[in-house]
Amino acid sequence: MSGFRLETGGRIDRSQPVRFDFDGKTYQGFAGDSLASALLANGVMLFGRSFKYHRPRGLVAAGSEEPNALISVNRGPGRFTPNLRATGVEIHDGLIATSQNRWPSLAMDFGAINDRLGMFFPAGFYNKTFMWPRSFWDRVYEPAIRKMAGLGDAPTTEDPDVYASTYAHCDLLIIGAGPAGIDAALGFMDTNKRIVLIDEQDELGGGALADPALWPWLERSVKALTDAPNVTILTRTTAFGYYHDNFIGAVQRLTDHLPDVTDAPREKLWRIRAGEVVLAQGAIERPLVFDGNDTPGVMLSSAAKVYANRYGVAVGKALALMASHDSGWHDVFALAKAGVGISVIIDVRESVDSALILEASRLGITVYLNHGVVGVNGRHNVSSIDICDYGDQRVSRIDCDALLMAGGWTPSVHLWSHSKGSLKWRDDLGAYVPDVPNENVHCVGGCSGDWDFGTGAIIDMLPTPKDQSRIKAFVDFQNDVTAKDIMLAVREGFRSIEHIKRYTTNGMATDQGKTSNLNGLQIASSALNKPVTDIGLTSFRPPYTPQTFGALAGHAKGALFQPTRTTNIDDWAQAHGAVFELVAQWRRARYFPHSGEDMHAAVNRECVAVRSSVGIFDASTLGKIEVVGPDAAEFLNRMYTNPWKALEPGRCRYGLLLKEDGFITDDGVSARLAPDRFHLTTTTGGAARVLNMMEDYLQTEWPDLDVWLTSTTEQYAVIALQGPNARKVLEPLLEGIDLSAEAFPHMAIREGRICGIETRLFRVSFTGELGFEINVPTAYGRAVWEQLMAQGAQYGITPYGTEAMHVLRAEKGFIIVGQDTDGTVTPFDAGLDWAVGKKKPDFVGKRSMARSDIVALGRKQLVGLLTDDPNLVLEEGAQIVADPKQPIPMTMIGHVTSSYWSETLGRSIAMALVAGGHDMTGNTLHIPMPGKTHTAKVSGVVFYDPEGARLHV
Amino acid sequence: MILIHCPYCDEKRPEIEFANAGQAHIARPLDPSGQSDADWETYLFIRANPRGRHHERWRHIHGCGRFFNAVRDTVTDKFETTYKAGEPRR
Amino acid sequence: MSEALIRHEPVSDAPFVAEGVCISLAPPMQRHALRARNAEDLEGLLKVKIPRKIGASHGGIMCLGPDEWYFRSEVGTAIPTGEGLPVAITDISERSICLIVEGPRASEILMAGCPLDLDQFAVGQATRTIYETVEIIVMRAAEDRFHVEVWRSFSAWLWMAMTMAARH
Repeated sequence: MSGFRLETGGRIDRSQPVRFDFDGKTYQGFAGDSLASALLANGVMLFGRSFKYHRPRGLVAAGSEEPNALISVNRGPGRFTPNLRATGVEIHDGLIATSQNRWPSLAMDFGAINDRLGMFFPAGFYNKTFMWPRSFWDRVYEPAIRKMAGLGDAPTTEDPDVYASTYAHCDLLIIGAGPAGIDAALGFMDTNKRIVLIDEQDELGGGALADPALWPWLERSVKALTDAPNVTILTRTTAFGYYHDNFIGAVQRLTDHLPDVTDAPREKLWRIRAGEVVLAQGAIERPLVFDGNDTPGVMLSSAAKVYANRYGVAVGKALALMASHDSGWHDVFALAKAGVGISVIIDVRESVDSALILEASRLGITVYLNHGVVGVNGRHNVSSIDICDYGDQRVSRIDCDALLMAGGWTPSVHLWSHSKGSLKWRDDLGAYVPDVPNENVHCVGGCSGDWDFGTGAIIDMLPTPKDQSRIKAFVDFQNDVTAKDIMLAVREGFRSIEHIKRYTTNGMATDQGKTSNLNGLQIASSALNKPVTDIGLTSFRPPYTPQTFGALAGHAKGALFQPTRTTNIDDWAQAHGAVFELVAQWRRARYFPHSGEDMHAAVNRECVAVRSSVGIFDASTLGKIEVVGPDAAEFLNRMYTNPWKALEPGRCRYGLLLKEDGFITDDGVSARLAPDRFHLTTTTGGAARVLNMMEDYLQTEWPDLDVWLTSTTEQYAVIALQGPNARKVLEPLLEGIDLSAEAFPHMAIREGRICGIETRLFRVSFTGELGFEINVPTAYGRAVWEQLMAQGAQYGITPYGTEAMHVLRAEKGFIIVGQDTDGTVTPFDAGLDWAVGKKKPDFVGKRSMARSDIVALGRKQLVGLLTDDPNLVLEEGAQIVADPKQPIPMTMIGHVTSSYWSETLGRSIAMALVAGGHDMTGNTLHIPMPGKTHTAKVSGVVFYDPEGARLHV
Repeated sequence: MILIHCPYCDEKRPEIEFANAGQAHIARPLDPSGQSDADWETYLFIRANPRGRHHERWRHIHGCGRFFNAVRDTVTDKFETTYKAGEPRR
Repeated sequence: MSEALIRHEPVSDAPFVAEGVCISLAPPMQRHALRARNAEDLEGLLKVKIPRKIGASHGGIMCLGPDEWYFRSEVGTAIPTGEGLPVAITDISERSICLIVEGPRASEILMAGCPLDLDQFAVGQATRTIYETVEIIVMRAAEDRFHVEVWRSFSAWLWMAMTMAARH
């Protein structure tokens, strides 16, 4: 045990004790403690096991750069969060945290055998070792590696928390509320700029929180900013990504620090658009690389200062400092002032500023210049260190219970790099600093390399007389990468840091190398004997720190994940037991089962009702476009394959729409309402696409046409009334429309009133029966539907769903674009050449119909299939072959596109796309399926009423 | 999410209001039937894929609804300029 | 007979009230898409002033695009068809509903899902835009009141999304 609570000091509230659990044991801390500081105060130095070697690990840092102390927090069922940094977890009463990556316990971990076998786990070990035998990968290697690998456990149950999300706009966004960020905010506070100030910690101040001399200034500043109406302060908020045009993603943690779980949002995603960004992210202290630098108790000197001054916690009773930079000296002077016992300063430099020596001497601290740590003793905590005199190479041992490292500073250029700002190398800092911005952004304070920590020596690793192959000097603590691994990568021929990084995994852990990148770069630079700037620089990418999926999803989960579009009649269908399916974003009634019916029975009953009496169908989702203007007919003539100019007002026409490549993209029946007004229909899924395509031609190819397009899909509820009794049901409800066959033939439209509501009444049929499609203003759809149901009761009117609709249309050989076509089907392939205006000089897709591939023989063509076993319903998508005895892999000549049981015909029917199918009528084809190969004969696609007699009544 | 200047609305609007519509300045031939197979193939299928300056079409689909032209750098994803449909190539 | 038929709306007619915001369904109204190359052609036909600048609105007419206006009028207002003229007038009264978002948090609730800077949106300004993935037309009717026009089938989702944002 080495850490302990100091008698005084810190920003914690000693009047508010907080009790929490770590690995099943209850501890006490104070309000204001982080999990890290509270555990340290309780003498806990061991926080976790490392990723690869399972080495015992303690705290390295006090902030979000912490690589080692990854823990899990359990806030109840479904509320398990792995891989949190103990330094960023605020304690509260009842907090339950556990360490990770150890079994059976943190102190006694079986995986630690990897550490003893360390020499067998060099860089690239996995790539080299598990190559062969190849068959071992799936069965042996992967399961075993998966069991051992990974950081923390993934949650296994659904997350019950809710997450909020918003856009926000400001003139000035300041990221980081240390002294530099606060100064920037104060400087603009009195302007009319809208300012947002973001900081990842629970209170503003950053580095000032560890400097009691700055606290009065901090208090005044925070009050001024809090009172300023134009300043929005977001604490516990991490700006995780910097995107184009000053768009910043930030996550605000709202409830994790509170003792009680509520239904309030746990986190909030801020999508911020800023006029100008000021980055004040500060700098991260760099560890030193030496044998045993990962032993618990070895940590950054700045972290020890934070623990003492912010949290009132000493990290040990007898501390030693290993420095290559002045800042470490200043830190230990501050520690001495706070009452932390510091006995030794070791510095790799031969000389330092005499003021530092004088102050150390005044404090009674022994100083060793031109010395370096070459060994750390103690497994679960530092007990002593071995230092080497670089003059005579003599090694001596010094007792201590914590060793601080001061290796200089790395500016936090993460967000700057996200924004694609360029970096320049500064030899004096041994670090990259921001250079040319790519957005309206600038850096202030530590992240720009501007700090007053003094100077230091830039070294790759501490010199050691030991055999390099026998030591473990860590560079990346989280991914367990040692200096030796990087040197091995260089020996094996890697030259670019991008490759070295991927081979060794240096900097690829969840901390993205916040403490390791620069050390890795320096070691590679020395090994290659090239300047750092010659071996490249890896890129930082979002997120700055790991974020929850919940926060990124925001509101978009459950029913809000995406809109489910419903028609005006949907409630009625729901109330009448409909089973629904999604078609694009629409929810459509698939069938209406009576009690005891399965889908098959329901669909059979619905189909028979339509053929024998009358069925009613909600067709509201059909896409509708109103085409209006003097050039409306000319426009449609250019878009569709068939002629439109001669269509008389009051008549309808089936329109086939191709893309310019000659393939079918949509179809639908459209009506001419007036000389300059058409009512188009499209497929349900094609509505938006067709409108966009038509707008494209209209705006960019034919801008001279006076015609305009308006989506009217949702203006009308559409009720299809189909069956021999349809007219009888409709007649009594209409005003102003003569329904007689003579006055209102098939493929006509009339305007009038139904139940007093204005209607566009189409006489059309997608079933092959006498049929009408009743368009009424959407708000009245349900009311008209109910009137029709009442009126049709005497005829046994039957609501039918999309499944029966599919069967009925297939019996008539009507295609569904996207089911019987797939974007490579021409009108000729689909047997729709009758719908192509041969005399038209041009329409969209016409020229392509003469392309060599499209006129070639052997194209897949739409045919009917009748199985030899009439009871067998083929599977849609099933592949078709000509000769079932050919060797595998067989030549597939087509596939089944539509296949149903037809109750009306008492047998199965199918449609298929088959190469050269139009010339195969009567041929037998084979459909290999699991267990059996089925046979079917090629037929025409119209299975029922081929003369169309039932339509014209 | 980038901001795109709509030349019709004359303001910068968020990317999600827009839809990309492929390469710009590919006019549909006035007489498609008179096109050779090779010319028609070029019109239909052959597109540039430059590294750098690229002329492309966008539609302010969830805004004013207009198609317009843009010059965008495919490396930096920055828009150099946008201009109305029908205006000469920039 | 029309009196006997009731309208069926996709969202509740009871307002949603939360701290600082009220979201409610506007009463039925007429809506027309007005299209023309020259605004004068519409002005001559409709005898109303047509705003020329995209984003402007005047007398219930919002200018959404260079040749597109969204005209909202009281139920029963006679609107000509424009037949024979180089204009297009299309009845879309029932394509959308209007949600009124009102109160000091109105812009905050809208910006939960709309990427525009609505705090800088002038009273009377109108535009087509998007709320997460759903297209809307937003019009600032007063300092603390917005009209949100949304296609009927998306309105239940939008209602859910905005009331969720308001509760947060």
